[in-house]
Amino acid sequence: MDKIRIKIDHSKCTGCRHCETACSSNHYENIVNPALSRIRVFIDEKTDQFFPVIAGPFTEAECTCKYDVIIDGKEYDECNVCRASCPQRTWFREPDTGVPLKCDLCGDPPSPNCVEICNHGALSIVEI
Amino acid sequence: MEGYTGKILRVNLTDGEFAVEDLDPDLIRQYVGGRGLGTKILYDEIDPAIDPLSPENKLIFLNGPLTGTGAPAGARYMVITKAPLTNTIACSNCGGSFGPELKQAGYDGIIFEGCSEEPVYLWIDNDNVEIRPAIDLWGKTTHETDDLIKAEIEDKFVARDTQIACIGPAGENMSKLACIISNRNRAAGRTGVGAVMGSKKLKAIAVRGTKGIKIANKEAFKKAVISAMDKLNAGPVTHEALPALGTPVLVNIVNECKILPTYNWQSSSYENANKISGETMAATIVTKHKGCFACSIACAKCTKVDSPDFKGEGEGPEYENIILMGSSCGIDDLAAIAKASYLCNELGMDTISVGGTIATAMELFEKGYLTEKDAGMKLNFGNAKALVAMTEKMGRGEGFGLVMADGGAPLAEKYGHPELFMGVKKLEAPAYDPRGVQGMGLQYATSNRGACHVRGYSMANEILGVHEKIDPLVTEGKAAVVITFQNLTAIIDSAGLCLFVALCPGFLYEEVQGLLNGATGFNYTIDELVQAGDRIWNLERLFNKKAGFTKEDDMLPKRLLEEPAGPNNDVCRLNEMLPEYYKLRGWDNGFPTQEKMSELGLK
Repeated sequence: MDKIRIKIDHSKCTGCRHCETACSSNHYENIVNPALSRIRVFIDEKTDQFFPVIAGPFTEAECTCKYDVIIDGKEYDECNVCRASCPQRTWFREPDTGVPLKCDLCGDPPSPNCVEICNHGALSIVEI
Repeated sequence: MEGYTGKILRVNLTDGEFAVEDLDPDLIRQYVGGRGLGTKILYDEIDPAIDPLSPENKLIFLNGPLTGTGAPAGARYMVITKAPLTNTIACSNCGGSFGPELKQAGYDGIIFEGCSEEPVYLWIDNDNVEIRPAIDLWGKTTHETDDLIKAEIEDKFVARDTQIACIGPAGENMSKLACIISNRNRAAGRTGVGAVMGSKKLKAIAVRGTKGIKIANKEAFKKAVISAMDKLNAGPVTHEALPALGTPVLVNIVNECKILPTYNWQSSSYENANKISGETMAATIVTKHKGCFACSIACAKCTKVDSPDFKGEGEGPEYENIILMGSSCGIDDLAAIAKASYLCNELGMDTISVGGTIATAMELFEKGYLTEKDAGMKLNFGNAKALVAMTEKMGRGEGFGLVMADGGAPLAEKYGHPELFMGVKKLEAPAYDPRGVQGMGLQYATSNRGACHVRGYSMANEILGVHEKIDPLVTEGKAAVVITFQNLTAIIDSAGLCLFVALCPGFLYEEVQGLLNGATGFNYTIDELVQAGDRIWNLERLFNKKAGFTKEDDMLPKRLLEEPAGPNNDVCRLNEMLPEYYKLRGWDNGFPTQEKMSELGLK
């Protein structure tokens, strides 16, 4: 397997956050902490929408323009589904240090822990 | 300490003080956590004879060592207190994300003591703990409370991570059917724990945590998680039935076995079961599957009802309340049952007990003991609108709802027919008729919190044949089966796992042991865990003894013992099982002997 991508099917996500525990325990020694995870599930409990988001690049500044996205007929602030580690959000930064977190497609060869643990088919690997 | 945080938050609501205390590792090891440890703390700290709604009662929220660790189905927190509905020990447990978040904040649990003068809620953001006024939240539904607390949090991402457990108007009114709701629709449901929260004027607990949970042995734990998930994924119930249809998958199965409570248990099969089945529900109102924290099963079903009379959305209904609100009330309208369930979640009431109480009221009404004038409405069997209207009145404590909100036992007593209450120790029975599944009769009778299915689900073997298929119609050997399930369940609850793991073939002590040892490093042996389960069960029993219970309270409703029904047209032959049960438990006169207590290290 040369190169892979992770495919997210949010319609299959159950909002269980098992990916968050798997990611954090894989990247830290003997600790489980969703706040240290490089994948977070945005959960809207009012509409029962679950969007797994995988941490992307760090940005130094906040966005200068903002937009809303419509998903399944519901409107969301784009920040909810954005993958950047940025100053405006607590996600994808270590809570104590503020150090940004980014997905490193863990495993050698890559076999990301979040994908391995997902039991509902929301996360899968695609070869490219 | 690994697996645990080792800390418990003690909050005195009378004087508004709180302190963080260390948990005793020896005690933890003996009682595992959650249900076991909470029972030990309560047993040591309160007089079991007190009034459950007095300031002397304590309310303990406690996680298990596996809660929030990423162990599959390890999402549970438990609420341990003296129960207002039953006067027994209460341990109601709940999934969702509240327990895991509390642990991330650095606490295995919280002990509430005393009683606040004004409504308050507890705010926890890691080490930052505040008792905040909740005057504006008082009177609000659980959903409104969730919205309002989150709206106060400036950072919307912090708000998003915040988990809330709260009561609705039913808890505030100290309805004995009140539950505690977290994640809007998950309930620590049974025995009226929400009323204790209401009596303390504690509206909610909001928690956010980013500290992390330590795991003793990363590799061993991961191996145990994969092994557990492989097992769950090989189980027909945990991998196919529950994910596809949720607990309502049981409706047709149980009806075919003729053990489906119908018309307040006057019959044990329902001609219209198909209209309220899991299959019908999936085809009509289910919109999405949902899972509690780190759950590989995802049994929860998000639902939406469009019919104008019963419009609404939420989660459920679950199997038990479909039957108690449905067939047991002679109601085959799934939309109405769903609406009544939504109302229960929003107003904060136990769906099983609400359904059971309404079914009792309907039989009282049909037989002319309860009049339309008294009830304020026609409470005939099959009246779907009355089900919904009465549920709302019970939740808000309005009119006759106020009378019904204390449960079926006092209601049946008030109208001169206590035999029409279908439950044990004042807890409304869940939806399996023991006249066709004998072990469940023994389980209802002996359960330390009254008629309850999730204290020893012998159904798993008797009907579903999960670990071993046994004949549901015989009484022989059932005492041993029930004891095995009761003790195993005590360990599963105390560990912080969901009981549904035990619906998977072979998910017994070995799997729990693997997960516990990986997370805690305790190196539990199987024997030690089996004994811990036994210890927990016996301690609960001792609590009840001190609360004034006797052997005579291990009794089923007369109808189940005297009026034949079910596949064999039989009664529940409790007297054939109970003496053996006591003997195998090492009990005399319904309670542990001195010898048994010494064996378990109990005082």
